[in-house]
This record gives sequence, C-alpha cells and structure tokens, in this order.
Amino acid sequence: MKVDSTAKSLTISIVSLLIFIGAWELVCRLGFIEPLFMPPPSKILYRAMKLIDNGQLFVHTLASTRRVMVGFVVSSVVAIPFGIFLGSSRFFMAVFDPLISLLRPLPSMSWIPLSLLWLGITETQKYSIVFMGSFAPSLLYIIEATKGIDPLLIRAARNLGASKLDVMREVILPGSLPQIIAGLKVMLGIAWTCIISAELVAAREGLGFMIMNGKEYFQTDTVLLGMVMISITVMIIDVVFRKFERRLLPWTR
Amino acid sequence: MKMSVLLKKSLVLVAALILAISVVSAHADGKPEKVTVIYGGSSWLGHYPAWVGIEKGLFKKYGLGVLFQNFYASSGRMGSLVAGDLDVASTGSISAIALMASGSKGFMAFGTQDSYATVEGIIAKENTKNIQDLKGKRIAAPFASSSHVLVLDILEQNGIDPDKDLDLVNLKVNEMPAAMGSGEIDACAAWTPHFNKLLNMPGNHMLVNDTEFSLYKKYKLGPGPDLLVVRKEFAEKYPNTCQAFVKGYFEAVDMLINQPEECAKVLVKLTNLSMEDQMTVLKDIAWIKGSEQKNLMVQPGGFVTGMQRLAEFLVRHKQIDSAPDVKRWIAGSMVP
Repeated sequence: MKVDSTAKSLTISIVSLLIFIGAWELVCRLGFIEPLFMPPPSKILYRAMKLIDNGQLFVHTLASTRRVMVGFVVSSVVAIPFGIFLGSSRFFMAVFDPLISLLRPLPSMSWIPLSLLWLGITETQKYSIVFMGSFAPSLLYIIEATKGIDPLLIRAARNLGASKLDVMREVILPGSLPQIIAGLKVMLGIAWTCIISAELVAAREGLGFMIMNGKEYFQTDTVLLGMVMISITVMIIDVVFRKFERRLLPWTR
Repeated sequence: MKMSVLLKKSLVLVAALILAISVVSAHADGKPEKVTVIYGGSSWLGHYPAWVGIEKGLFKKYGLGVLFQNFYASSGRMGSLVAGDLDVASTGSISAIALMASGSKGFMAFGTQDSYATVEGIIAKENTKNIQDLKGKRIAAPFASSSHVLVLDILEQNGIDPDKDLDLVNLKVNEMPAAMGSGEIDACAAWTPHFNKLLNMPGNHMLVNDTEFSLYKKYKLGPGPDLLVVRKEFAEKYPNTCQAFVKGYFEAVDMLINQPEECAKVLVKLTNLSMEDQMTVLKDIAWIKGSEQKNLMVQPGGFVTGMQRLAEFLVRHKQIDSAPDVKRWIAGSMVP
C-alpha cells in the first residue's frame, strides 16, 4: 500500500517536471523569450553534453563539492560541541550571545576582503568563506536544539545521581541530535549558497566560477547549467545525509 | 459612469496624438525626439568623453540631457543595455563580441573613441626577466577581460600552454597589488590606473604592454578596445536624438585632445585621481576623432576587421562558441 502511494507520488512529480520542461522548451521555441534571457532546456542539455565530453563539468562539480564539504564539515565540527555547550550554560550563552548576534546576519560575500588579507588567494580562503557563511546559523540551530530538551528530564537524571557528563551523554545529546541533524541538513543547503562568493576570487574551476564566467560571456545556458548542477548535487548529498541519519538515529525511522 | 470611461478614453487618445505629433514634428525639425539619454559608464578612460560632454554642457548645446549610470564591469553594462535600461554606452569589445556571439541583435556599434596601447600590460617581479621565465609560475589576470586576452595571446606567441606550463589565476585588478606585494603571484596583467600602481611597486617591472598583442601589430587593435554602442530599438526610434548625442560626444573628444587640462579638472570628480595622475593617464590615450570614425567603422576599416579577428581568437581559446559577423552590428547611420 505504502509502495503504491510512493510510486504514485513519484510518477506525479516526474510528469509535472516533464510538463514544466516541455512548456519551457515550447515558450522558447515559439520565440516568446529571447534565448539570451532564458535559453531552452535543449540548449542547456547541449551545453551539458559538451562540458561532460571535455570533462569540465566533472572538474567544476568536484571542485565545488570539495570546497563545500570541507567548509561545512569544519563548521559542523566546531559548531556542534560549541552549540551544545552554549545551549546548556546560561552564563556562557550570555557571554557569547552578542558576538553570535553580530556574526549571524553577515553574508558570506562580506568575508571576502578579510579572508583575502588573512589567508591570501588559497584554497583555505575558499573553505573559510563556506565556513563563515554556515558557522553562525549552524550554531544557532544547535543552541536551540539543546535548549529544547525538557528540563524535567535533566532534573530527573541528576536526582538519580547522574554526573554532568552522564546528563550530557545520556539525555542532552540523544534528545537534541534529531533536531541538530535536521538543522545541519538545512545548513548544508546554505553552505552551497556560499560557493558563488567562495569562487569569485582566484578560482578557475568550480560551479560558482562556471556561473560567473558564463555571465561574463553572456552564456546563459552555462549559467543555468551551473545552477542546475548545484541543485542536483545538493539533492544527491541530501539522500546520502538521510541514509546516514537513519543509521545514526534508528529510533527516528 | 459610461461618460467618465468615454472621457478617459478620449483624454488618452488626445495625449497619444499630441505625443505622436510632437515626435513627428521633432523628427522633421531635426530636433531630438527624446531629450534624455541614459548612458552606461564607469571611471574607465573610455567614458571620459561622455563625462566631459555632460560636465561641459556639450550635450545640452544640442538639446540633450545625458544621465550617467555607473557600472563596475562591461558585462553588467551590456546586459542592462539589451534589457532596455540604458540607451547608449561604451564597452570593452570582448563583452560586445560575447553578446554578439550569444545571438543578441538588441544593440549596434557606432564608434571607437580611443586607443590605449601603453596603459595595459603584464607586470612581473624582478626574477621574471622574459615571457619564457613565466613557466612554472603563478600569473594573475581578470578572466573574460582584455588583460586575460593579452595573456593568452602573449603565451600563444611564445609557445606556452596556459593550462600546463603555468598557473593562471582569475583575479580582479584591484586585488592584484596586495597579491603581488605578498608574493602570492609572480606576475599579473592589469590596466590603468592599477597598472601604473603595480609598475611603481618596488621590484616590479613591465614584461610587455598592448603593443605586443598580435592584433595590435597588424591592425593597431588592443586586446579589448573600447566600443560605443547603442540600443537598436532606441537608434531606430530616435534618430535625431542619436545624432545629437554623437555630435556632443565627439565635440567632447575634440575637447579632450585640445584642452586636456580643462577636461582633467572635471574628470577628477569621476576618477578620484589627483590632477597630476589624471594628466598622466590622459597623456597615454590616443583619442579618435569623429571625422576618423567612418574609415574605421564603416569601410570596414582596420577596427572592424581587427574585431573580427579578435572574435576568432576568442573562439580559438574556447572563450565563446562561435565568431559573430562583426560588421552586421555596425550602425552605419550613426557613425559620424
């Protein structure tokens, strides 16, 4: 029964996507939209085939994926323990709150001048842009997830003689983990939005570079292909993330 | 209710008639049909004539008000032009060629106002004595720009593969002084005023300038010559306005040739350079008068032929897919 409904939903999604692509192609072919502003899907597909043929699409996708994953993993590794720590300590939360509030609204692009001065035109500079763009929002997700633990559970554990470490390991961590993982999934998408900023300077590969270089040469099909590739890559990573989540949190299935 | 609708319709009809009559009569009188022209510019030297024309009231003499809109890069300016937000602009020709190659017929070219072969080039550190020394080193150029084309051409002339023999990085011109200073790059390609700044840094020297560009040797064409462009629809709809703009514009070019100091006084407001630096930049530019445009743009002269070769060069280096037929984008009626 469940398989039937999943197959039905999938069929509806595929049909709606095909109708959308067909309508887009038709509108472009009939000349309602100038190709410079919106090329037809067939032109984007043709560009994709060309870039697959010379290996460039793979090179660009791999470069961006590497930059996003390094920046995002480092950001998560720092944000998870720090966020849990801040979420469970009112004092330290009060100490760091102003700093987090200052960092949170800064767009990844605003870090370019400083990152260039500190790290130069290196790969580390690109990782740092992704890191700075995703760190503060990740931290907030984790703090909120930690704060969301029922205080009654913590008090009950303490009354039963659990140490601070036990409370952290047995109550706070398992309780907040599903929300932390959900937050990290959202943050992974945000980390990908930083890739344009990360690849604006001193890059000659990557999907962000491909999009910006395509823009300079008015190759709108390249621009759209880069955007589609970002979406596809995020979707693939999301599927992998879900599998990982199911293994890590079997009780959420 | 019906009366009010009828009244509204009548008023709209009368207004449309008045507008049509005024446009037709203005057209017949030779007066500008439209009195405001939106120009796309920046602080780059190719925009000096438009700025001087505005500041010195040269367009006003012909009944035109010119609104100067600033853009950081040629691609943004050209995108706005074909989208209908600008009427006239000057652009680096690489952007114009790329837009032609995309199939856009929304703009036309009507002149080339300057040539600047000695204010753009490749600057290197002392230990890089010649082009062959660039092998194995890191060289920066802003991709999709004239400097990028210059680097690709110079490397091609010297048998160096930009993908295998050296590390070519994409860097904006304003980020080059810091990168050169910190030793992150060994050489870079840039244009004025950063070109002069980089050249004056201790330990730096010029490897080549635009005069070494292969098309300059044949056609006196730099790697990204300036090009005057107009939105096609605008040119067709307002021919008198376009003629008035061209007159005012090339009077400004004459003024830049004959009274550079007078012009520099107003140009510093655009460029934020000191009077001394402004005069230095002005000395490096060869202005092309209105009377010389026909030979370059319409014949077709060396400029159009050179642009065609430049388009073919871009195809050879896989920057664009196919070379457009450049002469099809020349607005003959607007060339002075």
